[in-house]
Amino acid sequence: MEPAMGMGLVALMGAAATVAGCSEDLESDIGSQSNPNSQVQLAAQVGYPHRIFNKAISGEPPSNAMICAAGAGVAAMLMASTDVSPLIAIAIGAFVGALLDGIYSVTSYIGRSTSQKRFNQYVYLDVLRNQVLSLMGHAYITTFCIVLISYVMTYVMVDPITGLGGHPFPFPVIALIWGLCVGAIGSSTGDVHYGAEREFQDFKFGSGLNAADSGNITRFAEAGIRSSIDNAWFCSKFGGPATGIAFGMVVFLDNWRSTVFAHVINGWGAVIAGLTIVLVLALYNRKLETYARKKYGPFPEYAGDIEA
Amino acid sequence: MSEVSAETANQIDAKGIVIGLVGIYIAGMSGIPYLAFLAGIGAIFATKMGANAVRSVCSYGIGTGVPSIGMLALGMGIISAMFGLAFGWMVDIPFLGPIVGLALALAIGFIVGTLANKVIKLNIPVMERCLTEIAGAGVLVLTGLSVMVAGSLEFPDIARDVVSTGYIAPIFILGALGILHPFNASLGPDETQDRTMVHAYSCGAIAMLIAGICSIAINPIAGAISAVVGLVIWYVTFRGFVKLAKRDAGAGWVGTGLLPPGAM
Repeated sequence: MEPAMGMGLVALMGAAATVAGCSEDLESDIGSQSNPNSQVQLAAQVGYPHRIFNKAISGEPPSNAMICAAGAGVAAMLMASTDVSPLIAIAIGAFVGALLDGIYSVTSYIGRSTSQKRFNQYVYLDVLRNQVLSLMGHAYITTFCIVLISYVMTYVMVDPITGLGGHPFPFPVIALIWGLCVGAIGSSTGDVHYGAEREFQDFKFGSGLNAADSGNITRFAEAGIRSSIDNAWFCSKFGGPATGIAFGMVVFLDNWRSTVFAHVINGWGAVIAGLTIVLVLALYNRKLETYARKKYGPFPEYAGDIEA
Repeated sequence: MSEVSAETANQIDAKGIVIGLVGIYIAGMSGIPYLAFLAGIGAIFATKMGANAVRSVCSYGIGTGVPSIGMLALGMGIISAMFGLAFGWMVDIPFLGPIVGLALALAIGFIVGTLANKVIKLNIPVMERCLTEIAGAGVLVLTGLSVMVAGSLEFPDIARDVVSTGYIAPIFILGALGILHPFNASLGPDETQDRTMVHAYSCGAIAMLIAGICSIAINPIAGAISAVVGLVIWYVTFRGFVKLAKRDAGAGWVGTGLLPPGAM
């Protein structure tokens, strides 16, 4: 394979990863998974029954690993046993992944709301019907992109010099790992925008958070009582794209360094390039953090309890 | 968590281990490939055993630890299952594989439970017992679904058909979710055992369905049988779950509506 073709594939994977990261984060925001989930789960107990979807399928990493691994397993089966084209196989696999996401979402919404009955938490079937299809739609996009990345890594990318192809791991295992990865990045990058920013944007920077404020996440939106679709609207302005860029960068930079530096100093070039990228990003993050503290701080000094 | 006519942990464990092992042996040693689905049915009962153990140990306020425990189960399970099957193949008695794997998993689970309780001092009375059960469930789910896909107890067959094809990935993660999701999805003070247990059957059936679909690439007819059986079990138990949720929610099961009076 020519180097230009290799770089084209790396770019394609980066683009697919950006889309996957964005849809993954929006999907988890509609379902209030991971970071905001504990606040939604607590809300009824602190006196705020709500109409927010409670999608508690484990954390985000295992739930995305599940839909991606199942989608890749089905796609691998189709490619092995029929002569269907890989793209169709991946699309069917992603459809199965989306169905699984829907089933697990329905059971967690019904189950968790029912288990909070003593706090006056109802099971609203219209919330279920309105949200599940948008969850499944986003899950389909995520699964399709992740399974596509895994397929390209396993079957399409070949070493530019030796001409040897493929990754030593089988295709569904790579999908599992990338699924875990996109879930972890969505959980740490995008969910902060929903779990913290959405609820606490009117609090002073660095003022600390009261556990009793947790229930507020289910209360007021721009108009009326907050619903899960409002959260997707809010998060699509920053949290989703930020997750997409973060995951796209992970996939792009990782494949870029291993494609370009694969044969520099017997493969150690790729390792050195990886370490350099990590170092540069760590320094940049530290700089960004101190900049934000200086700009939006300082933390107000403790001046005794303030009357509520 | 008041329970009327609840199944005890001993009954659930006995069913999980006996049906799990019998299913694995019939599927792996009968020589009739179409019976492979029995290993999947064994895995469903093992899933229930794990889900009940998660339910017991996580009632002690392990909130975010529920998913971690499910992953821990299959982590212990995959090591023990592969060791057991490889051991059976090495000594040339494949029959020994699942039992050696189960014994190893129970031992690992007990050691991990003791470490958590005595060294890390979590001080949860049922910790040792529950982690032992969870590890046993993990190994039975993993062995059961692997034997179902490969249709054999021989380690080389499982390594070729399950591990190197990558079907181990969906088996691993769906098996883990089967153990952790039933309780995780019912977390709250009004959780009931029968609802969680029906949900465990339903999650186990999803794992069986997807593993069955994957095994169509290995043995089309046996795979299709497993997938259809898994689908039927899932449909029946999912309906059962919704029915029990309706029972537990009572008047709180509404088509639509505003928040309850006094909520704003």
